[in-house]
Order: sequence, then structure tokens, then C-alpha cells
Amino acid sequence: MIGAVNFETVKAESAALLTRARQGDGSAFADLVRLHQASVFSIGLRMLGRRDAAEDLAQDVFLQLYRKLDTLDSLEHLGFWLRRVAANLAIDWLRRASWSNTSPLHEDFEIADERGEPDPLMSRELGRLLGELPPGPRAVMVLRYQEDLDVADIAIALDMPVNTVKSHIKRSLTALRGKMIGAQLVTAEELS
Amino acid sequence: MNDVEQKLRRALRPVSPPEGFADRVMRALPERRPSADVVPLDIVRGAPRPGPWHRFSTPAALAASLVLAVFAGRHVAVQRMEAEQRAGLAASRELMQALRVTSQKLDLAYEAVHRPAPKATPEEENRS
Repeated sequence: MIGAVNFETVKAESAALLTRARQGDGSAFADLVRLHQASVFSIGLRMLGRRDAAEDLAQDVFLQLYRKLDTLDSLEHLGFWLRRVAANLAIDWLRRASWSNTSPLHEDFEIADERGEPDPLMSRELGRLLGELPPGPRAVMVLRYQEDLDVADIAIALDMPVNTVKSHIKRSLTALRGKMIGAQLVTAEELS
Repeated sequence: MNDVEQKLRRALRPVSPPEGFADRVMRALPERRPSADVVPLDIVRGAPRPGPWHRFSTPAALAASLVLAVFAGRHVAVQRMEAEQRAGLAASRELMQALRVTSQKLDLAYEAVHRPAPKATPEEENRS
């Protein structure tokens, strides 16, 4: 087992970790979960806006991972697979669930992490505004600005043409900029 | 846009799930891990995207099936028509044959009726 501060060690031993998990080593699989849990949980949280739903989604994703473990040939593939499945599952949930038409960001939505956040109000409002985007563009923005995936990877992850991804990013940024100015979070001069 | 992007990156830092999340995942796992599926890497990075033909494959298959069905139906209809023609010709031939036989019989009967009776011999006249 590893603790929250031992991720570098885990990364160095990634190949062995994956092999052990495939061989049925439960503690190795638990380490894989700990390694990726923040990323998967955060995708769920930013997409669904609810901690309980995000936790359910993350658990579902890791259960799928458990079944698919033999099909992933490296830790990099595993990480990409998790992000892809989490984002697509969240889109599915949003399209199916009754709360998809409501503002997804609840009051317990947290932006700040353990490292602290310089402007929690701004972050909270940005998260709320992000939640007003439709599921597809929202997933594009989460994968781009939370997971730092490039446009080509987002296109593969969400099964979209690259130009559609670029278009979603451009339109979403313009919309967010307008909403930020409208909500008086910033002035037009600050963003120019 | 750069400032919005920077603010987004700061706002979207990863958040840790509630304490004990990994343990809950481990408790939810099935006893035995199922074997891997056959098609493994479609879902991971680098897998080729389906080509543009992929979205037309189903309509194309349906169209091909429709064309095949039309041709097959036409073939069956033509065969049925030919069989009916053959049966009709055979029936016609049988009818003609029957008419010929009937005609011959009638000719024979006609000849028999209109044939002059042979003259009686003297012995026959004396006997009567």
C-alpha cells in the first residue's frame, strides 16, 4: 500500500504495479486507484457537480477498470483510458439523469484542493459557469484545463473530430469570458 | 483568452475524493477478476479512429440487401412465369392432340355412315 505522498515512487514502479495488479494483487490495484482517484473523481465532480454522484461515477469507472485491466498495456494507457471512460460516463449520466437540466453545481462543490486556492470565490464561480455548458463542451473543457490533454487526445477520448473540439474550446472560452464579465467577476479590461 | 484559460486551470485543480474512497472501491470489487475481452486497445490512446465509411456501412448493407431482395424476387417471378408458360403449352398440346383424335374418330364414323351398302349375292337373296 502507498500513502498520498508516495506517488513518485509508484510512478517509478508503474510497470511492476500494473503487472502485479493484473496478476490479482489487490494491494497493487488499490495503489492504481489511489494514483488516479483524484483525476477521475474531479472529472466526475466538474461534470456532475455533486460529490456523491462524482464518487459513484469514480467507483463505477474503477470497477470497469478492474474488468479491463488485462487490456491496458501501460500506465499511460491506463490513465488515458480512465479519463476517457470517466468523461464519457459523465456525459451519459448527464443526458439520462433528471438533474441534467438543472444547474449541476451544488453548494458542496469544492474547488480548492490540499494545496490551497488563491482565489476560491473566482474558482467557485468559474466552476459554476462551467457547469452551465452543455455536457459535450463541458467535458472538452474539463479534459483540456483540468487534465491538460491536448486537442488530439480530447478528440480521441470523446470520439469527436479535432475541429469540433477546437470549436467547443473557442466557443466555451468566449461564453465563459462573457459570463465572468456579466457576473462582475472581472472587467472587460482585465480580460483584454 | 489567456487570462480566462489561466483562471480555468487554477480553478480546475484535481480534488481528492472523500477519505477511504479506495477502500470502498476495493470492497466493491468482485471476488474474481473476469478474463480480458478480446478487443483490448480500441479504447486507449493511439487506436485508429473509424474511417468515414464506418458511418455509412449500415445504410450500405441495408441498400445492398434491398437490391438483392429485388433481384431475387424478380428471378423467382420470372421462373414462375416460365413454368406457367410451359404448363400452358403442354396443356395446349394435349388439347390439340385430343381434338385430332376426336376428329379422326368422327371421320371414321362419317365414313361408316355414308359408305354405300354392298349388294347382296344370289345365295343371300334366295335364303331370304
